[in-house]
Amino acid sequence: MNPSPAFPHRRRSARTTRSAGRATSLAAVAALALAGCSAGESLETDDGPASSDGTLVVAISSEPDSLDVHVSTASPTFLVMENVYDTLVEPAPDLSFQPALATEWEVSEDLLTWTFQLRDGVTWHNGREFTASDVVASFERITDAETAANAWRFETVDEVREVDDRTVEFVLNQPTPNLLANIGGFKGMAIVAPELIEGDGLTTDAIGTGPFRFVSYTPGDRIVLEANPDYWGDGPYVDRVEFRFVSEPTTALTNLRTGAVHLTNNVPAQEIATLRDDPDVELGQQASNDYWYFTCNFDRPPFDDIDVRRALSFAIDREQVAQAAFFDAATPVQSAMPPGNFWATDYAPFSHDPDQARELLADAGVTDLTVDLMLTNEYPHTLAAAEVIASQWGDVGVNAEIRTLDFASWLDEQGNGSYDCYVLGWLNNLDGEYAYYAQHHSAGSFNFHGYANPQVDQYLDQARASVEDTERRDLYHQAARLIIDEVSYGYLYSPQATLAWAPQVSGVEMHPDGKTRLRTVRLTD
Amino acid sequence: MARFLLWRALQTVVAMLGVSVAVFLIVQLVPGDPIRLALGTRFDEELYQAMRARAGLDQPLLTQYGGWLARAVTGDLGVSFRSGEPVTRLLLARLGPTSLLAGAALAVALAIALPLGIVSAVRSGSLVDRIATGFSQLWISVPDFWSGIMYILLFALLLGWLPASGYVSPLDDPVRAAHHLVLPAMTVGLISGSVLTRFVRSAVLEALHQDYARTARAKGLSRWQTVRRHVLPNAWISIVTAVGLQLGFLLGGVVIVEVIFEWPGLGRLAYDAVVRRDYSLLQGAVLAIALMFLVVNFLVDLLYGYLDPRVRRR
Repeated sequence: MNPSPAFPHRRRSARTTRSAGRATSLAAVAALALAGCSAGESLETDDGPASSDGTLVVAISSEPDSLDVHVSTASPTFLVMENVYDTLVEPAPDLSFQPALATEWEVSEDLLTWTFQLRDGVTWHNGREFTASDVVASFERITDAETAANAWRFETVDEVREVDDRTVEFVLNQPTPNLLANIGGFKGMAIVAPELIEGDGLTTDAIGTGPFRFVSYTPGDRIVLEANPDYWGDGPYVDRVEFRFVSEPTTALTNLRTGAVHLTNNVPAQEIATLRDDPDVELGQQASNDYWYFTCNFDRPPFDDIDVRRALSFAIDREQVAQAAFFDAATPVQSAMPPGNFWATDYAPFSHDPDQARELLADAGVTDLTVDLMLTNEYPHTLAAAEVIASQWGDVGVNAEIRTLDFASWLDEQGNGSYDCYVLGWLNNLDGEYAYYAQHHSAGSFNFHGYANPQVDQYLDQARASVEDTERRDLYHQAARLIIDEVSYGYLYSPQATLAWAPQVSGVEMHPDGKTRLRTVRLTD
Repeated sequence: MARFLLWRALQTVVAMLGVSVAVFLIVQLVPGDPIRLALGTRFDEELYQAMRARAGLDQPLLTQYGGWLARAVTGDLGVSFRSGEPVTRLLLARLGPTSLLAGAALAVALAIALPLGIVSAVRSGSLVDRIATGFSQLWISVPDFWSGIMYILLFALLLGWLPASGYVSPLDDPVRAAHHLVLPAMTVGLISGSVLTRFVRSAVLEALHQDYARTARAKGLSRWQTVRRHVLPNAWISIVTAVGLQLGFLLGGVVIVEVIFEWPGLGRLAYDAVVRRDYSLLQGAVLAIALMFLVVNFLVDLLYGYLDPRVRRR
C-alpha cells in the first residue's frame, strides 16, 4: 500500500494563537512541489524611494501544469500564483503565522471552533468586495478530496461556515493545533474567486486578492501579471511581471546576463561557483528544510541488526555524496532538520569511518552482504548520490545492487516492503512533528521500514501533548538522537535553494522552498 | 494519376490507423499506472477507481480504443491528465510557432542546399565541392543542442546581436518576431541544409551521369544548359522527396531546439508532456506529429505528379 496521507495532530490549550506558529506543512515525498513559503530571509534590502515602474521578467525552469492551485502539486504553479492569491494566514519569516486575509483569530475553550475575522476593504482583482462567503466557497473546494490535492489536511475539519460578512468559523471534530499551517502553509490553500470555480476556469484564469493581477497565460511561452493597485498590503513595486518558461539553463543565464531576464530560479548547481564571481549576476542561496536519507528494511535480516545499519552509515562519506548529488549546493547532514532550523538537532556521530564499518559488520557476523538499493528516477540527484554510496559500501565489502524504478512502481515496492534499502527525501520540514512522527513512530503512517522503539514513541507522543515549542523541541532532540544512533534513517544531505538576479533588481526575499514573493521586489534602471 | 492518388491516399489512411494504434498504446504501455502517478501520495483506492472509471481505463482495451478513435476523428483528443485542458486546444496553440520555425528553417536549408549541392555536383571534385562536402559533413555531425547553445553564447551573449530565446508572434511585431526567429531557424536550418546538400549533390551527380545528359552535351549544350534543361528536371523527384522528409521532420517539432530556444512549438509540448508524464497530452502530440509527417509526404506525392509526367500517366 501506498502512503495515505492521514496526519495526526498535536494538542494545544485554548488561547488566541498568533503564536500557534511552528506547525507548518508537511510536504509529502511525492510532492516535491507542495512546499509552502515559510522562513523568509531578506538577502537584500532597498530603502530607496518606491519607484513603481517597469516589467520584471522572471525565467522559471518549467511551466506550470495548471494555474489551479487547489489541484496542482507542481512547484512552477506556486512560483507564479504565490503572487496572485492570498491565504487566510501566511508564514512569517520566523516561521510563525501572520495575518493575511484574516486579521485575527481565536480558539474556543474546547479547541473545536476557530473563529477568523476577515480583513476589511479587500477587493478581488475584478473589483468585487471580498467577503466571508468567498472563503467558504474556496474551502468547499479545497476540502473536496476528489478535486483538491490538499484535502487530506482537513480531515479534522467538519465544516467551514460563514458567521457574518467578515467572520468565518472552522468547526473541528478533534483539536487541531496546527490548523494555521493547514490553512496558510502555502498557496495550495489559497482563497480564489468563486466566479471561477465553476467549469475549468481556474486552470487557465485567476482572480485573486494578491499583489499582482493575472493578465494572460500563453502556454509554452509566458504568464503575465500586472500590479494590483488596490492590494491590501505593502507593494508591489513593479508594474508588470512576466514569467517565462526556460528549461535550458544556458538560455536562462544568457538571458539574465543580456538583460532580457531579471530573475531566474534556473541555476544549475554546477554553475554556482562561476556565478559567484560574476559581477553582472547576483546570487542568492537559502538553506532548504528538505533532507534526503537512506533507510533499510527492518523486516529483512540482516538489516534488523543495528550493527549492520550503523556499519552502512559509517561507510558513507556524506561530503562526497552531497557533492555528487548537488555539487556545492547541498550540505551534508546527519539529522532531519538542517542547521539553522529551529528544530535542528546538533548531533552528528557518523564520521566517515570504513574501518569501524568493517568491524561492525564482522561483529554482526555478516560477510558477502548484497544490498538491493531501490531508487526512483523521479529524483535524478538520488541516482548520482547512490552511485557514490554504492562505491563506498563496496569499500567495506558490501555489494550494492542499484535498482531504479519510476516513482509509481517505487511507491508500490516501498509499500510492499520489496527492497533492502532505499534513498528518498522529505521536503519542507517546518515542524518536528512532521519530521519525526509519521516516519519513526511505530504507528507512524510513513514508517514503511518498520522501525519501532518504545522510547522514541514515548518522546514523540509527549511532544504531541505539549504546548510549548521549546519543550517540544527538547523532546524531538531526544527522539532524534535515538533515531540517528539506531539508523532508523541515515540522513545524507540537505540541498539549498538558489536564485540568480540582475544587479538592477533589489528586495529579493528568499524562502527555503526557492519561492519568492515578488511584492517586495524592486527594479531600478 | 487519379488511381495513383487514390492508392496513395489509401496508404496514408492505413498508415494513420497504424499510428493511431501505436499512439493509443502509449498510455497502456508506460511503466506505472498514469492515474496512480497523477495521484502521487494522495492515493486512495476509492478515488483511484473513480478516476480510472472517469478516464475509461476500466473498460476492455478494444472498447477503449474504439471510443478513443471515434472521438479522435472528431478532433476530441481528451483532456490533459495534468491541467485538465482539452488536448486539441493545447496542440492547436503550438501549430503556428512550429510552422513558422519549420518554414524558416526550410528556407535556410534550401538557400544553402540548392546552390551548394548543384555546384558541387557539377564541379565534382573541385575545391568548392570538397569544401561543401566537408562543411555539410561537419554540420550533420554537430548535435543541435550543442550548436544551438553555441549560437546563443556567440550571438546573444558575446556579440549581443540577437535575443537568446523566446517567441514573438509575427502578427504582433514582425521585426521582433524575425529577430527571435533567426537563431533557432539557423540552428535547425544549417543541419537540415547539410543533409539536403548531400541529397541534392548526389541526385544531380547521378542525373549528370545518365545517357541523356551525355547526349545533351554531345549535341552542343553547355554544361549549365545541360544541368538546367535535362539534369535538374530529372533530379527534382529525389530532391523533393528528401525535402519532404526534412519538412516532415521540422514540422514534427525539433524538440531539443525548441526547448533550448524557449520556442512554444509542438516539440516542446511533447517534451513537457514526457517530463510531466502527461500521457494524454503526449498521445495527442505524437499523433499530431505523425499526422503532419504523413500529410507532408502525401503532398510530396502530389508534387511527383506535377514534376514527373510519367507518374501522371500511370
